[in-house]
Amino acid sequence: MTTYIFRRIIQTVLLLIVLSYVCFNLMTLMPGDPIELMISSNPKITTEDVARLREFYGLDQPTYVRYKNWISTLLEGDLGYSRTYRIPVAEMIGPALKYTFILSMCSLILSLAIAIPLGIYCALRPNSKFDYIVNLLSFAGISAPSFWLGIVLIIVFSVKLGWLPAGGYQTTGLVYDNIFSEILDKAKYLILPVVSLSIQSIGRFSRFARSAMMEAMRNDYIRTARAKGLSENIVIWNHGFRNALIPLITIVTLSLSSVFSGALITETLFAYPGAGRLIYTSIISNDFNVAMVSFIISISMVLVMSLIADLLYGVADPRISYE
Amino acid sequence: MKKISLTLLATIVSALLITTSCTKKDSAGSASTETNRYSNNELKIGISQEFETFNPLISNMMATTYMSRMVLRGLTTINADGKWIPQLVKEVPSFENKKASIKKVNGKDRVVAEWEILDNATWGDGTPVTCADFDFATKVAASNNVSIPDKETYSQVEKISWDEKNPKKCTFTYDKVRWDFYMLGTFFPVPKHLEEPVFKKYGSQKEGYEKNSLYTKDPTNVGLYNGPYVVSRIQLGDHVTFIPNSKFYGEAPKIKKIIVKLIPNTGTLEANLRSGTIDLISTMGFALDQALAFEKKVKEEKLGYQVLFQPSTVYEHIDLNLDNPFLKDIKVRKALLYSINKDDLVNALFEGKQQPAIHLITPKDPWYTDDPSKVTLYKYNKREADRLLDEAGWKMGEDGFRTKDGKKLSFTIMTTAGNKTRELVQVYLQNQWKQVGIDVTAKNEPARVFFGETTRKRKFDSMALFAWVSSPESSPKVTLHSSKIPSAKNGYSGQNQMGWVNKKVDDLTTQLEAELDHSKRVSMVHEILKYYTDEVPVIPLYYRSDVAVIPTQMKGYRLTGHQFPETNDIEKWSLE
Repeated sequence: MTTYIFRRIIQTVLLLIVLSYVCFNLMTLMPGDPIELMISSNPKITTEDVARLREFYGLDQPTYVRYKNWISTLLEGDLGYSRTYRIPVAEMIGPALKYTFILSMCSLILSLAIAIPLGIYCALRPNSKFDYIVNLLSFAGISAPSFWLGIVLIIVFSVKLGWLPAGGYQTTGLVYDNIFSEILDKAKYLILPVVSLSIQSIGRFSRFARSAMMEAMRNDYIRTARAKGLSENIVIWNHGFRNALIPLITIVTLSLSSVFSGALITETLFAYPGAGRLIYTSIISNDFNVAMVSFIISISMVLVMSLIADLLYGVADPRISYE
Repeated sequence: MKKISLTLLATIVSALLITTSCTKKDSAGSASTETNRYSNNELKIGISQEFETFNPLISNMMATTYMSRMVLRGLTTINADGKWIPQLVKEVPSFENKKASIKKVNGKDRVVAEWEILDNATWGDGTPVTCADFDFATKVAASNNVSIPDKETYSQVEKISWDEKNPKKCTFTYDKVRWDFYMLGTFFPVPKHLEEPVFKKYGSQKEGYEKNSLYTKDPTNVGLYNGPYVVSRIQLGDHVTFIPNSKFYGEAPKIKKIIVKLIPNTGTLEANLRSGTIDLISTMGFALDQALAFEKKVKEEKLGYQVLFQPSTVYEHIDLNLDNPFLKDIKVRKALLYSINKDDLVNALFEGKQQPAIHLITPKDPWYTDDPSKVTLYKYNKREADRLLDEAGWKMGEDGFRTKDGKKLSFTIMTTAGNKTRELVQVYLQNQWKQVGIDVTAKNEPARVFFGETTRKRKFDSMALFAWVSSPESSPKVTLHSSKIPSAKNGYSGQNQMGWVNKKVDDLTTQLEAELDHSKRVSMVHEILKYYTDEVPVIPLYYRSDVAVIPTQMKGYRLTGHQFPETNDIEKWSLE
């Protein structure tokens, strides 16, 4: 087990280096660079300014040299400087990751809390009226585009009913008396984006849970367990659900890997200052340092969560061995 | 199982009830008609563009400019009437008021001007604004370790001197004789007493100053600001809160707290306004079509808002690539222009809220002229367009398109993908040109590719539709002089993307920069405009309008239509 984990960590680090180089190259291949964008917005910039700024930012160097400089700065613990926001990357990416994590985790927890019981309930009563209704709603949820859903939620709950704020993450300028009032204030800003994100996930997760559970409940050992006279609860949870866990572990760990990547459309619609919007803005504005750090975090999360998923398979199913 | 689901449902419903009940009291609800919800206690402004830190030396974004005018004042600015006015100084120096003159310095002619800072101009911590702050700004800007986008703003002032007994009376010696020496709208002082220690400590490191400047590390330090407001909170990517600066030299601001909130999706700006998340949509919010649609709702539903339209200095046009063999023929270029009904275009697409353009100088500019004796005007005339094309040898075919030597008269018009207004204009123009037998195909690209690569490197085949943002009385040299044709040789830094070469225009644009007589400058500009409208290197379309939405009860708010935004007068704004 330890050897397996160690081997996977080494693979992860190597993969990370290769992927970061690929991403860096892809970034440099994009048309335009930070200076060209500056020239577009400032007609006063002279030829001398262009040469000076290119040299200043190291854009006159070959890509591999720039990558080497970037990685060595990163290894020194310096994430670089944002050319868009004019502050060190570490100072701006931290809050964005925190907000995205809160949004994504709330949505994931809510989705799992609703979708898994729903999926299991439907699997245990296939083709019932309830199952049909849940199936219909699941497909509706999966099919609804998030930008449309977000706008509908804003129009209904913010504009028409006036119950919830249309965007942001807290009441700007409000001074909180205590932690409870802060949590309450921030919670109301989370409701619409969380619901918007969760509606799709609930549909997806409940479909997965239903099919995994149905598959598990069709196995011979379920019939054997029932024949042995075990209670229905033990048959469902100890024999059925445990065997349905493997596909669920895959989907949950993969979803967890994106908790720091952000949800661009939802964050933009609800003016939520998360990492998704930050990554998008940094790519559009050629803010290499921010974009690269964001890529590294996203890639690392996918790799780490894949490793965790592999380890959890062994926990859920003792037949899986890592020797 | 049932129990668990019910408990979960009950928990979610109660959580929703608790949070929404807390929301109700401070949300405006569907309060679109409740105009009395506004007071001078707070104003929330919505913008849709990102902003950076407020260091005036390095900031470059439009949204930052918009906000920095609330907290920083410079030597001069252009007011809403388009006139240069003093801000931190007693008066704008000129040759007429004898505050400026041409003197020999080290054997060369130089403009020397006297700028006298207001006696009560101080930084937010009470430290007086002095010549030393301007001198310090030029020193930082000159450093090779600081990434100043446009050095010339500061490097044009070669030397700043003052008498220690009167540190508010500054003598500026310029690098050359220039008539526009007083146009220092973006020349800001930097508080030497706060920033000098940072510059001394980190100035020798690359990007050391900007990384450690107090504008980055301690942006709520009141000593960094000299405007009517100071920053009390800043969260990049979300909002900035401003409170009045008790040490402001001018009229005390009326609104006690201003919050500028970033709402990146322009489609949700209206919902945010109507739900009370914001009270005002700035000029960096609605697109024109959104403003027109919202204006209709305001009238129909009697909402408590006013939609403002202000003609601006933004010139929407089509650059023609004069290297295109078909476009080399002036008759074809003129035919393209004659066949566009611009009056109909602005009425059909913009309900007349934007004005048809005749050349690159906008009506907000004192240099503007529409005098037919000075510029060539092209009124829609399909017959004339047909005649010119016939004369040029382009014969109408059976398919409704013109051909010459077996080649179809065909062009590609490129613009920024996703810009709804421009895409509508493209379709309109395609149809108009089709009427005279010209085939035009649209090919659009994301803005970063279009501006970063295609127009910058003149990679458009024939037509590029976009806009120039200018300021009144700016030299047209950068867009018209032949040395400004972008090429690898000049680092693609020029903006004569048409590839227009006219020796007379080259001479005139060069002479214009050194001409001290205002009336002579105007004549020279009109001569340039004559060549510009005669030779048609560009197809002028329309002058854009700035739009904003304000509460009806708001007073003192005036859109400017140029690059010095309305926040220059923020101390005059009132909601009561």
